[in-house]
Amino acid sequence: MRASRRSGRASSALLMYVIILVAFQVFLLTVTVEAFMADDEGLAWAAAAVSVVLAGASAVLFRYLRP
Amino acid sequence: MSAKRTVPSEADHPGTGSSQAAEPLTVEPQAAEPQAGEPLWKRDFPYESLAEDEVTRREFARFLVAGAGVMAAGNVGLAAWTQLRRINTGEPRALVPLDEVAVGETYLFAYPEDADPAILLRLSDTEVVAFSQKCTHLGCVVYFDADESRWHCPCHEGNFDAATGAVISGPPSRALGRIDLEVRDQVIWALGYQP
Repeated sequence: MRASRRSGRASSALLMYVIILVAFQVFLLTVTVEAFMADDEGLAWAAAAVSVVLAGASAVLFRYLRP
Repeated sequence: MSAKRTVPSEADHPGTGSSQAAEPLTVEPQAAEPQAGEPLWKRDFPYESLAEDEVTRREFARFLVAGAGVMAAGNVGLAAWTQLRRINTGEPRALVPLDEVAVGETYLFAYPEDADPAILLRLSDTEVVAFSQKCTHLGCVVYFDADESRWHCPCHEGNFDAATGAVISGPPSRALGRIDLEVRDQVIWALGYQP
């Protein structure tokens, strides 16, 4: 019973992490658009790279999320 | 119309097999009429999935992760577009004779296209600068504030350095687009646009 509760709490924590990562992705999208408008290639690629890393992290966290 | 239908038990039909049918089963009929709080269309389309009102954490997270993937792909696409696109930086073009612009005066022109307003400022006898007139915040037209010796955007009070176009104050986060100039035979030439 206690283990199940702990597992549910862990799932909720994982979901919160995914939500935070997605929120950060939205911010990164605005950064990339700003870099696009300013023709700043370096910033655009940096933001894109971090965005890909965060998407991968979200996918990894999703694997550990119990049904 | 909430009558329950009773399934005949093993006793009613002996020899039909299932030992689990020892007790009568009750089956809720499919809703033929909308229940309280349900929309009327349910009367015409009384089908529902078993879990149509449930979204599990995993399903919700799946949508989030899919959204994260889409945003990452969009970011990479935007970065690639930033890398590959060619911005029109303009062709070299004569603008105005140098002696027609006094020190501290400005001259309005369009560069690199006719729809791109630009402004030139003569800082000294030998120094001339020119910038795009579009504010980098929301595109309002900037003008030269001679009293403060700076470019000023009246829309949201953005200020830029007169000589470099760098942001001094206000909401803009980028410097004004710069136009490279050169004086050839006492004529000011625009050589190219640097966004």
